[in-house]
Amino acid sequence: MSGSKSSARGDRPDLLTAAIFVGVGALGLWAGRTLDFGSLASMGAGFVPTIICWLLIVVGLWVGFLGLRRAYAPIEPAKLRPILVITASIIGFAFVAAWLGFVAASLFLIVTSSIADHEVRMFETLLLAVGLSIFGALVFVVGLGVQIKLLPF
Amino acid sequence: MEFLDLLALGFGAALTPENLAFCLLGALLGTLIGVLPGIGPTTTIAVLLPVTFFLPPLAGIIMLAGIYYGAQYGGSTTAILVNLPGEASTVVTAIDGYKMAQKGRAGAALAVAALGSFFAGTVATFGLAIAGPTLSGFALSFGPAEYVSLMIFGLLAATILARGPVLKAIGMILIGLLLGTVGTDLSTGASRMTFGAIELFDGIDFIVIAIGLFGFSEIIENLEKTGASGVKVAKITRLWPTREDFKRAWPAVLRGTGVGTFLGILPGGGATLASFSAYSLEKRVSKRPAEFGEGAVEGVAGPEAANNAGAQSSFIPLLTLGIPSNNMMAMMLSAFVIHGLTPGPQILQSQPQIFWGLVASMWIGNAMLLVINLPLIGLWVRLLTIPYRLLYPAILLFCCVGVYSLNNRIFDVALAAGFGLVGYLFRKAKCEPGPLLLGFVLGPLLETNLRRTLLISQGDASVFVERPISLTLLVATALLLLMMIVPNFRKNREEAFKGEEA
Amino acid sequence: MKKILATSALALLAATGSAQAEWPTDRPIELIVAFAPGGGTDIMLRTLAPYLKEILGAEIPVLNRPGASGEIAYTALAQSNPDGYTLSSLNTPGFLTMRIGRELGFDPAAICPIARIVEDPGALIVQANSPYQTMEELVAYAKENPGAVSMGTTGVGTDEHLAMLQLEESAGIDLTAIPFAGANEAKTALLGGHVTAIGLNVGEYSTADQNALKAIGQFAEERSVLAPDLPTAKEQGFDVIQSSERGLATRCDVPEEIRAKLSDAVDQALADPAFLEQAGQMALPLSYLSGAEWVEQMPGRLERYTEIFSLIEAGR
Repeated sequence: MSGSKSSARGDRPDLLTAAIFVGVGALGLWAGRTLDFGSLASMGAGFVPTIICWLLIVVGLWVGFLGLRRAYAPIEPAKLRPILVITASIIGFAFVAAWLGFVAASLFLIVTSSIADHEVRMFETLLLAVGLSIFGALVFVVGLGVQIKLLPF
Repeated sequence: MEFLDLLALGFGAALTPENLAFCLLGALLGTLIGVLPGIGPTTTIAVLLPVTFFLPPLAGIIMLAGIYYGAQYGGSTTAILVNLPGEASTVVTAIDGYKMAQKGRAGAALAVAALGSFFAGTVATFGLAIAGPTLSGFALSFGPAEYVSLMIFGLLAATILARGPVLKAIGMILIGLLLGTVGTDLSTGASRMTFGAIELFDGIDFIVIAIGLFGFSEIIENLEKTGASGVKVAKITRLWPTREDFKRAWPAVLRGTGVGTFLGILPGGGATLASFSAYSLEKRVSKRPAEFGEGAVEGVAGPEAANNAGAQSSFIPLLTLGIPSNNMMAMMLSAFVIHGLTPGPQILQSQPQIFWGLVASMWIGNAMLLVINLPLIGLWVRLLTIPYRLLYPAILLFCCVGVYSLNNRIFDVALAAGFGLVGYLFRKAKCEPGPLLLGFVLGPLLETNLRRTLLISQGDASVFVERPISLTLLVATALLLLMMIVPNFRKNREEAFKGEEA
Repeated sequence: MKKILATSALALLAATGSAQAEWPTDRPIELIVAFAPGGGTDIMLRTLAPYLKEILGAEIPVLNRPGASGEIAYTALAQSNPDGYTLSSLNTPGFLTMRIGRELGFDPAAICPIARIVEDPGALIVQANSPYQTMEELVAYAKENPGAVSMGTTGVGTDEHLAMLQLEESAGIDLTAIPFAGANEAKTALLGGHVTAIGLNVGEYSTADQNALKAIGQFAEERSVLAPDLPTAKEQGFDVIQSSERGLATRCDVPEEIRAKLSDAVDQALADPAFLEQAGQMALPLSYLSGAEWVEQMPGRLERYTEIFSLIEAGR
């Protein structure tokens, strides 16, 4: 509808879907290339995964084919900042928790993840970090006996 | 009447102050861990198991059971408020529940979920009391072949969960199935799709995928779309459900209760199927299927009822046959064994107060949960008025703790972060993650049972149509498929016509 | 940089030195369980931990590191400090069989058992109303109908599976192994009549519903205390010996005296009447063996398992 030119055809989210499906299928086939296929009476480890992967590739191609014929539709634009900051703070949490314990990890997570937002309010963030860390330590570690050490030692 | 005598015996045993206190304690603890994403009842019960040594048998078992169904109540709260399903059964609740919350109707969704769960719990508890011993025989007639047919039926029903085109949902289910094959193959011991990572030998945990796809990617997307200050929930106009809501919800609750009670009896995966079978059913019978996925109250009521009914009726095989139908029930079995009790037919004879006391306490516990949860709704709803810039770090923290505590390792958290990115990609591609999760849960069951069936039959695939239950399920699957394809064809053609006009 | 490293290395040395002197009271002893919470090994050790705590006077938090039939926990143990503050559960045959044809993330020779706590022999179970009420009857049927007898196991290389392979070899029959994810699943399939027989441990069998299930043989040298009336496979003429053992282990380079103290503590706890009562209720077939004695019998068993494993390869 918005695409007035014939070149601007294709539903981009659908094409992305097709790429994901075909890509995952191909990756699965590659990862399972050494698995034994076996027979119907005695299926090997590779029997079911191989079938799933081929089905996935077929479905992916089908989605792509239909998507190409559909009218142009854009993919919503991406912003890198939240993606990077949130992912990094999550992974950072795990490392800090393993080495320095829950309290440090919780403080780290909340302070770093707040950078994902543009307006950083230092005081508010610190208050939140301290409050949530105390709450988390009490509820998870003390109360529910979650197996994380609290402090570095 | 013998039945009434036994029930009276049960209530007598369950209503002692001590047992009441442990029932309440279990229900409260269950609600708490249910609300916290990623902390499942399995771990909590495991940690508390040795503690029950020091309690009388019935008190210990009552408390553990309370944690189990309390967590079912609590889990739907998180699904509705922040779109975070803690287990397979709440994936479905999140679909319409979260939409309702965004439209300012979180209170109505929570109330319907609580009331529906209570009703279903009541019916299933009495079902357990009356028909339990009879029904359990049926559960045993489900062999590998029947499970294959049931899982195929369930997977097809899962495509209904997504709002988008069926083809995308099928693709997502396939990805879920593939993720389900990750890990050591049970039959051959070969490691599959692990890319050499020893951490993947036992497969991926449901929580890792659910928190990645739902929790993390939701936060990334929200921040990207509007920034932290912009995420707002519509103003809450009314805390309680309207008359119209009730009118639409109660038939759904009835149907959900039926589906859940029935499927919950089946060991291994029955209860998992319950909530989304109920959802599919509601969407099928509704006069307004278009509202599903946009905040239809039936889409919360049916699955929630089914989920809770299934949770109760999954006690049936445990109590009457000594067969635990899932990990939770296996843990309950240990609780019995710790006290030198063996669940099964003899216990019904020799120690009826244990069986009937537990049944009675379940009903009492459900009533307690209703009393705990209804007033809490106001509090939960107010939670939504907290600015998102304060809310998202808290959600992140709870998610991270949940994932990390699964196995105390960095790997799981990193993997969940990876699934967060994948989930973000899915959102860009307009693919819904619900069917993926269900494929992931059901896939291993489908595969192992398929292989088992053909091992036992020595490669003869005709067993699937020779066994009556299996055949019935396959016919039902075929009908469902037909029903799905026919309107779809029509719709596609309509779209094609529209396209030509434009 | 170098200087910092040197000082921290010194500090570490000092720390381990002092730890040895004060062991075990200056910090908690971490007990890693290689299986998920609620399993047999987990419950056993969680029950035992308070008694060890009493005897040693140290906190003993239990930490679950499940996965890869124990490899994850053993790897974690192998990476810990050799100061006696990290223990782990140890299970056979898993600990022994995992090195057969598999690259491991740790060196099995670096892990030394402290004590064996439980030895639970395997048993062959059929439905109570099964047409085969003895092993002989089952074997006779299997001889006439190769592959028709299906036997539920809990996966490749598990003790049930090893026992099944021994039975096949000893009786000259061909059975069909049907893997299940756990003993409970296998039990369900047996009750529904979907498999002919299953393998269970005697401890598991003694807590199961004995009106529905029937054991027709146990795979022990001598009849287990939990099942004194159940004939062994050997008595019935089949050479099948298979048990599963559970105990505790630590790193081999933990000082000898600390390992001895730990072993004694386990021995003491196992003699405590309160513990014995709890173990009895859980049907734990207690069978204490000191670390040294346990280690001694491992090479022999490993050899036997390797032999049995070669049968799998030959068979498929």
